[in-house]
Amino acid sequence: MGYIDTKKSTKAKVTTVGNTPINVVIAPRSPSGADSESLLTTIFKSVKSLFVGMKVTIGYLVRPSTVVTQQYPENRETLKMFDRFRGQLRLIKDENNYMNCNGCNFCEIACPNGSIVITDQRNPVNEKLELERFLWRLDSCTFCNACLQACPHDALEWSDGFEAAVYDRRLLVYTLNDYAGPPVKAINRAKKKEDRVEELLATMEPRKQYGGPVPLAGRKMPGVPALETENTKDNASPKHK
Amino acid sequence: MLENLLTHSAFEILTLSDRAAQALAENPWEAAGYTLLALGGTGAFLSLLGMALIYVERKVAAHFQCRLGPMRVGWHGMLQSIADALKLLQKEDIIPEKADKLLFFLAPVFSIIATVLALIIIPMSPSLQVVDLNIGVIFISAVGGFGVLGILLAGWSSNNKWSLLGAMRAGAQFISYEISVTLSLLVITLLAGSLQLSEIVQSQQDGWWIWRGHIVGVVAFFVFIISSTAELNRPPFDLPEAESELTGGFHTEYSGLRFSFFFLAEFINMFIASALGATLFFGGWMPFHIGGFETFNSIMDLIPPGLWFAGKTAFIVFLMMWVRWTFPRLRVDQLMRLEWKFLLPVGFINLFAAATIVLTKLYFFPGQ
Repeated sequence: MGYIDTKKSTKAKVTTVGNTPINVVIAPRSPSGADSESLLTTIFKSVKSLFVGMKVTIGYLVRPSTVVTQQYPENRETLKMFDRFRGQLRLIKDENNYMNCNGCNFCEIACPNGSIVITDQRNPVNEKLELERFLWRLDSCTFCNACLQACPHDALEWSDGFEAAVYDRRLLVYTLNDYAGPPVKAINRAKKKEDRVEELLATMEPRKQYGGPVPLAGRKMPGVPALETENTKDNASPKHK
Repeated sequence: MLENLLTHSAFEILTLSDRAAQALAENPWEAAGYTLLALGGTGAFLSLLGMALIYVERKVAAHFQCRLGPMRVGWHGMLQSIADALKLLQKEDIIPEKADKLLFFLAPVFSIIATVLALIIIPMSPSLQVVDLNIGVIFISAVGGFGVLGILLAGWSSNNKWSLLGAMRAGAQFISYEISVTLSLLVITLLAGSLQLSEIVQSQQDGWWIWRGHIVGVVAFFVFIISSTAELNRPPFDLPEAESELTGGFHTEYSGLRFSFFFLAEFINMFIASALGATLFFGGWMPFHIGGFETFNSIMDLIPPGLWFAGKTAFIVFLMMWVRWTFPRLRVDQLMRLEWKFLLPVGFINLFAAATIVLTKLYFFPGQ
């Protein structure tokens, strides 16, 4: 087989089907005579390509900066994840810790395997539906990104955290929002109109990470620290060390 | 000593076997001491060099592939090979139920014995060579065949189709490429006029054969390096143990110490091939000389011969690693085509050219 330079020999033309113009790419064919190139040419080309390969590998050897391996536990402080890395799902919050999410349920509908469960409540002040609890199941999530694509309010993002391993199955299902109440948009609107802002903010209730319906019904297990919920008074950390 | 070094051509060959023979006339115990030194030294050299080569191979391979390689055990993973060796020694030694027990036991021993036999005649420096045979080049070829016998026995005695296929491939590959190796060895034998390795080294006092023998030397070197890589079953010619097809080839059924024998033999054979290449084409322990330039030659003589040998061998070892981690593996038919249709004709033409050059004295510095 002869070598085909696809960039040079590829031709593009436009055909119309009905009234729609369609771009057609004509695939290049092997140039005539390429199959019968002389033995010496073949040998020369082969040997040359071997040397090209050797040049590439020696380039990697002499430049230690090309190494991509991370020395993980040592560089834990400086390790930077990549732009499109999908760690854990997180709600976007502004500087006052108000979230964008208004509990519209689009992500729950988009989720292919029911890893998101959202409950809503009606705010007594502005009579609008708002987020009560955003429950995410890390254990069944496939990180398909459908929730982020479905979100119309720019309320979700992926965190950089990749150390998701835990010793207790209950810790893989948790609440993402840390308060139940109006989103940042509703608060801003109320501030603009100067309409019962203090009352609206007073409706916000705290939500703990493990407050919702967690597996095993949040049961206490021997030798395992109890999970922290809205009802627990002490501030014992639920995470295992 | 310094006087000897500064005056050109002052290398006196003194092998361990010569010392033992001299000592035998006076004191048999001294001779026995030399024999023990040779045995223990070869054994220690074998295991230490094997571990060092494995470490270097892993590091070089890693950096060729944008990785770091062993980094945890010791500084930059220096002690990784020792840890691996200790682990390998503790492993369970499994012998398949239907295996031919005797041959299964003998195969790795044959492999390692062939390696030791080849190792002892490598001249590492004028005073560091166990035995200096007058048929050194032939001996190396013969002993190499003994090594492949170990591989064939391993494949047969394992009673496993993958092992047998791998061993058959190894046998076919070895027999084919041995011809090319021998043809390129013959070129240097013609130029040097001797089969004795120390004399071949001495004959390169005015310049190494790779450039004194100009085109013929270079062609012979490339034929040698290609076909000896094939003989060593190293990639891109590692068909006998092609993991994707044969799960490990002839050593599929081997574990623990027996497997480590094959592994060690493979790496030491790489060293032997490199050392042989260095000896024949790059002058072995002979410093870089240009005939007639006495001042330049005496400056070069200041570097000890052992270092010259180590440097040249390390260069060829690196070349083999570079090739291994760059080139794609060949298919069986491509392997055979390369040998019988390309390397063999080139080797024969090169041998005739070498004979012509020797007769007409067309190589550099023929008079000296």
